[in-house]
Amino acid sequence: MFNKILIANRGEIAVRIIRACKELGIATVAIFSEADRDALHVQMADEAVCVGASPSKDSYLNMHNILSAVLLTKADAVHPGFGFLSENDTFVAMCEDCNIKFIGPSADAISAMGNKANARTLMKSAGVPTIPGSDGTVDCVEEAVEFANSYGYPVLLKASAGGGGKGIRLCENENELRESYAAAKTEARLAFSNDAIYMEKVIRNARHIEVQIIADEHGNIIHLGERECSMQLRNQKVLEEAPSIGMNPELRAQLGEIAILAARACDYKNAGTVEFLMDEDKRFYFMEMNTRIQVEHPITEMITGFDIVKEQISIARGNRLSIRQEDVQLNGHSIECRINATTAGLIDYLFLPAGGLGIRVDSGIYAGYTVPTFYDSMLAKVISHGESREEAIAKMNRALGELVISGIKTNIDFQLQILESENFLQGEYYTTTLAQMIESQEIKP
Amino acid sequence: MILPETKQLRTLFPGSARHNSKSNSDSHSDALMDQGIDSNETLFSQGNEPSVPDGMWVKCGKCQGTIYSRQLCSYKVCPDCKGHFRISAWETIRLVTDKDSFNEWDENLTSSDPIDFPGYAQKVAALADALDVNEAVVTGRCLIHGVDTVLCVMDSNFIMGSMGSVVGEKITRAFEKAIENCLPITIFTASGGARMQEGIISLMQMAKVSAAVKRHSDAGLLYITVLTDPTTGGVTASYAMLGDIVLAEPGALIGFAGRRVIEQTIKKRLPDNFQSAEFAQENGFIDKIVSRDNMKGTLGNILKLHCRKPVACEGTTFQYFGEPCDTEPSEVVEISRKATRPTSRDVIAHIVTDFVEFHGDRNFRDDGAIVGGVGYLGDMPITVIATQKGSNLQENVATNFGQPHPEGYRKALRLMMQAEKFGRPILTLINTSGAYPAASAEERGQGEAIAQNLFNMAGLKVPVLSVIVGEGGSGGALALALADKVFMFNYSIYSILSPEGFASILWRDSERAKEAASVMKLRPKDLLEMQVIEGVIPEVDGGFDNDPSYSLDYLKQLLVHEFAELLQKTEQELLDGRYDRFRKFGAY
Repeated sequence: MFNKILIANRGEIAVRIIRACKELGIATVAIFSEADRDALHVQMADEAVCVGASPSKDSYLNMHNILSAVLLTKADAVHPGFGFLSENDTFVAMCEDCNIKFIGPSADAISAMGNKANARTLMKSAGVPTIPGSDGTVDCVEEAVEFANSYGYPVLLKASAGGGGKGIRLCENENELRESYAAAKTEARLAFSNDAIYMEKVIRNARHIEVQIIADEHGNIIHLGERECSMQLRNQKVLEEAPSIGMNPELRAQLGEIAILAARACDYKNAGTVEFLMDEDKRFYFMEMNTRIQVEHPITEMITGFDIVKEQISIARGNRLSIRQEDVQLNGHSIECRINATTAGLIDYLFLPAGGLGIRVDSGIYAGYTVPTFYDSMLAKVISHGESREEAIAKMNRALGELVISGIKTNIDFQLQILESENFLQGEYYTTTLAQMIESQEIKP
Repeated sequence: MILPETKQLRTLFPGSARHNSKSNSDSHSDALMDQGIDSNETLFSQGNEPSVPDGMWVKCGKCQGTIYSRQLCSYKVCPDCKGHFRISAWETIRLVTDKDSFNEWDENLTSSDPIDFPGYAQKVAALADALDVNEAVVTGRCLIHGVDTVLCVMDSNFIMGSMGSVVGEKITRAFEKAIENCLPITIFTASGGARMQEGIISLMQMAKVSAAVKRHSDAGLLYITVLTDPTTGGVTASYAMLGDIVLAEPGALIGFAGRRVIEQTIKKRLPDNFQSAEFAQENGFIDKIVSRDNMKGTLGNILKLHCRKPVACEGTTFQYFGEPCDTEPSEVVEISRKATRPTSRDVIAHIVTDFVEFHGDRNFRDDGAIVGGVGYLGDMPITVIATQKGSNLQENVATNFGQPHPEGYRKALRLMMQAEKFGRPILTLINTSGAYPAASAEERGQGEAIAQNLFNMAGLKVPVLSVIVGEGGSGGALALALADKVFMFNYSIYSILSPEGFASILWRDSERAKEAASVMKLRPKDLLEMQVIEGVIPEVDGGFDNDPSYSLDYLKQLLVHEFAELLQKTEQELLDGRYDRFRKFGAY
């Protein structure tokens, strides 16, 4: 095993990783910025090194300083957590050059999946289904109609040079497409001086379903089932659950195979997540791969009883996967609510709903802690686990009802409203549902 | 703190030091270096412990930052400050030429020792052994984006790229072969200047090469120079500055006398950017600063553009439909000055493809009020020169509200003469309230500059078309409008003076500008009747900012048609036509 690991992150994920290391008997090094001098992860680690000023770019993204901290503390591996440098192939290459073990995939795998267009091409050639789109531009209206006929309406016309939502048109049928095509081209030419247009199929009522995979360095890859992450707002996940209500064992096995295929295509090592959209006919389309541990990994841990972070560390050391695919048994249902701060400041009182079977709180806060303004607003993750979905929901309701974070504003009430909403209770929700519930004032943010 | 304090927190990188970038970067390097030394013992004995391998980090000479060497790539550009590292001649050749296309000439030419300088012969021999070049320049012929060109690349690793006999000889031969084969020539300069060890013979190389440049130029051939870090002394004072087009790499040191010599002589500290490429461009001596990753593309564009000769396409048909509007003159004045009206740059972006902007008058300064460069109108290479107003305050500060200084008119003239050399038609776009009325402009000869333009434009042997896009104010507008034909946008004006100036001179009351506008006959409709212009570019109601494509698509077709017609004329017909066009004006 490693003797000492430096955790190149902050907040709850740093705490989570330090805890795993402690249980494995591995010494830990925390890094921190000036603003994080009093952070929980700094206090929990065996050693802590200040790597720069408060803004992330000067500290948690400062590769040079972080590498220096690894060398100075003689750590032999780096765990990147999520965000910050976790998907930065340059940092991984630096670690590789310095003979520092990066707990995650290789620089090549990260760069292969990092560029969306490249990843899409790679996945297509590996036989992984992707969202149908014109590969390249659509140069006349007949070509556009042909595309739409073969993949079905609705379709999006998008300006190749576009961005920020400009130059996008939704077409529900052939008439609309014929009408919109010329207009979209003109609009693109005026806005971007380039009238190239490409097309994409619109997936209506899509669910965001992702598969946790984990691969060792000996060619073994398994999946740990899926997570349902459709409850999201502006592409930020708010609440996740596992398993997904829309899945069954056959579909799960099939999707798991596709995810493993995707991982093999980029010669993936360590833990990763393959994200898919699922349409109403339960067809899957590859979106992207997250080449790191994810925020919502605990719900997979709860239903599999398998510690993903510990396994990451073990694999990075060169060990084989400790379980085989057939050992993976899903047990009950788990939900995670992300508790975010909506203001920064001092937490003058804190009550965490610990206690009782099936409740877990991963957080980086404590009473007397001041939430800095420089970083992500997530304070804690409350995770519940029950025999059934209903039990998991009941436990989550109980836990959020008990949770007190005073001194700053949070989204606890928002989460409780989601838990009580009809869409959620019925399991009838898609990636657009939360925004619609807010728009119809069913839920107040 | 909620947990008992069990350890010492280490602050290796006090964040406050970030505010002082110098001390901060020093502390980084120190920490890293300390570690390197500290861990060496265990590292090399165990072999697989974390350590920093040699060459992993390089220091940027510009920002002093520590750079991960893999991030330098083949361009050798600092990822943080974009500073360009010096690279060898062969590295440059690999970056800018088409694969396997470079054919070296005179690779074995080596210098003798003309003034018997002690140790010189040995030094040259030792360097030739150590480096992949045996003199400070590599010459040959290659393809750049498929265009056949002679290429000379200097190498600062060889006695600081100094110009001895061999450098002068190889470059002179390259020019001679270029003349013989009717080829363009591109030279990358990198030199400390003359080579002291060769004495006066080195000095003579400046004259020898310059004379070869002159012959090449007289043969009507294209010469591009790319000034890289450093270009100084005798090389600057000869072939480096003689290119038809002078490009430079960002941040390159460019100058004649050394900074230290100047500071010691005048006993003054010089500004930080003194003698940088940017400084030289600001002062009018560089056409364009091109980063290394764009260099091959830019050279390819320029070379291709000079391969193609404009030809008259016969039988083009064109449907004129611009009827001049009869809007109130004061309203036309107002619309012509609207801040939302597309600027000359917008017009260029719409009608010209692959536009490459060239800066500077090669004398005093680059004037932001004049935009000039080359590009294609359809398939035809043209030179475009325009007065540029900004569309907001910041742009207007840069463009001096579209009022050129004398150096602006001199830049325009320089680009016109360049167009004439290469037989390129010229398009001028005019939008100015007038030449800049200021003491500085007078000191540098505003009147003389405008006069020179009129004088020289009358003799240009290539077609010239002018388009008034907004305001066409007085001599400042005419200085770009002595053309074969002049067109106006429907809501533009062209007049002897601004209505305010007119009212002020005649009635000593600039408030009566509206009244002045109504009597000045400054609208396209009036000017068409007086035959001052040939046609009108239609605009939708209220001005072409409401539908730029409507006017600009028409303008492009009009220009293609008009140039095609003018190109059918002989030089003499062109000159006579232009003479007669202005000869006819007069009422007596």
